[in-house]
Amino acid sequence: MLMTTLETLKPLQQPLLQNSIAIRDLSFQDRSLVILEAVNLTLSKGEFVVLFGPNGGGKTTLLKLLMGFLKPARGTLSLFGKSPVQMRKMMGYVPQKGPFDPLFPLTTLDVVLQGALSRTTRWGRLPPLWKEKGRALLHQMGLSHLEKRPFGRLSGGQAQRALIARALLGEPSLLLLDEPTAHVDPGAEKEILDLLIRLKRKCTILLVSHQLTSLLSHADQLLLVNRTATPFQPHEICQHFELGLYPNKKNYAHR
Amino acid sequence: MLTDNPFLVMALIAALFSSVTSGIVGSYVVVKRIVFIAGSISHSVLGGMGVVLFLKSSCGWSWLHPLYGALVAAIASSLLMGWIHFKAQEREDTVIAALWAAGMAIGVIFVSLTPGYTVELTHFLFGNILWVSTSDLWLLAFLGIGVLLVSVIFHRRFTTLCFDEEQVSLQGFSRKRLYLLLLCLTALSLVLLIQIVGALLVIALLAIPPAIAGMLSHRFHHLIILAVLLSALFSLLGIFAAYQLNWPPGATIAALSSLVYLASFSLRNKQRRIREEKND
Repeated sequence: MLMTTLETLKPLQQPLLQNSIAIRDLSFQDRSLVILEAVNLTLSKGEFVVLFGPNGGGKTTLLKLLMGFLKPARGTLSLFGKSPVQMRKMMGYVPQKGPFDPLFPLTTLDVVLQGALSRTTRWGRLPPLWKEKGRALLHQMGLSHLEKRPFGRLSGGQAQRALIARALLGEPSLLLLDEPTAHVDPGAEKEILDLLIRLKRKCTILLVSHQLTSLLSHADQLLLVNRTATPFQPHEICQHFELGLYPNKKNYAHR
Repeated sequence: MLTDNPFLVMALIAALFSSVTSGIVGSYVVVKRIVFIAGSISHSVLGGMGVVLFLKSSCGWSWLHPLYGALVAAIASSLLMGWIHFKAQEREDTVIAALWAAGMAIGVIFVSLTPGYTVELTHFLFGNILWVSTSDLWLLAFLGIGVLLVSVIFHRRFTTLCFDEEQVSLQGFSRKRLYLLLLCLTALSLVLLIQIVGALLVIALLAIPPAIAGMLSHRFHHLIILAVLLSALFSLLGIFAAYQLNWPPGATIAALSSLVYLASFSLRNKQRRIREEKND
């Protein structure tokens, strides 16, 4: 029987001992507007990190810097000892559903298979093995029956699960998710978060989310991103603000 | 018999070759929503043609064909559009409109400085497929096969680029190079199609068949095949109608495809309304 991609993602050997992300004195500005400054951060392999913070605080910018889509104004950033551009093929990225054209003529499976674009042959053919892996992932996400449905006709939760399947198809070492539960109902939100919890220790996960309550018991670290990045242990969030309360940026300004 | 007319036979073969090109490239242009960019490239072509006609007249370079000028102008403007897309911190639509106007203005200025060439320019502005020579047919076939080959090899990459540019980069490909390749392919196709419908109407043949195909199919490769078939159908019917009615072929093809598009659009909206009423 075909091994599904989720199963083939084995737990990491000696997770949390090796660094996966090392950021030193990182700053980024858009023209004259400083978006991130003096960011210092070290994350271990296999960690599950939740990024939170106010809108415009720099969460998406930090993800784009990690993917090498933006260049820092100052500082260094290394992923598994390499530059972000060198590591791109080892990353899976789940954007918000918003920017996609609802009329685009692609089925759900077509979108998932974009995750194996780098595996196409010189003549542009995708080996059948990857199609099978794509189907297996859709099955794992509970979307098998929607394989041929146009992607634009999926509900918010279904589309996000398809995008997670696309991100996982390349068997990434680093999974970046930008508010995957932003436009979904509570049922779909739970399904997506459960899925991410199942992926814990199989790859390093950076998740932008405001749903701290559901994630506190699973996250290894919480990262407040508001012009700079301040790490917290889950129990600190519990102690300081009570469960589920949004952290107050003023209280953290001089931390 | 219509086929007894050798000019008409050549025109029909040219239409079939160019349908393959316009159907494939037009599908990427429509789903990527860069029809306006394609329009700007097609009008900038006039600048290149105007300069070539001027050089032919003033320097006596009779070997220069206006299509060479069209090709250079189309490629140059597509590279410029690509640069604007990635680099310029400016409103993209405004820059596209400026280039659109600049191309036409350069064309008009150089043609006004070139006595006796207005008829030739009119053919390129409005198209005249009955002008197609054997060497033009070879050029159309050669470029058509080239476009087909590049599209087959790059189809998955182009599709991903049109859907989600960031995903292309994450998979280790250069989205800038791919986007420029797509724009250059569009420029080549536009130059080919200009011979059939002319620079002013070429955008109709590039955009309308894929737009109608998009209403009929949700699979991208089906959409492309349908767009090629529709493009061929419009071109053939348009040429026959123009021959019978003694109308200009380019304008007839563009008018026919526009009418079918408007009819399909209203039919689809009507169907959607009926479906919504049933659901209510």
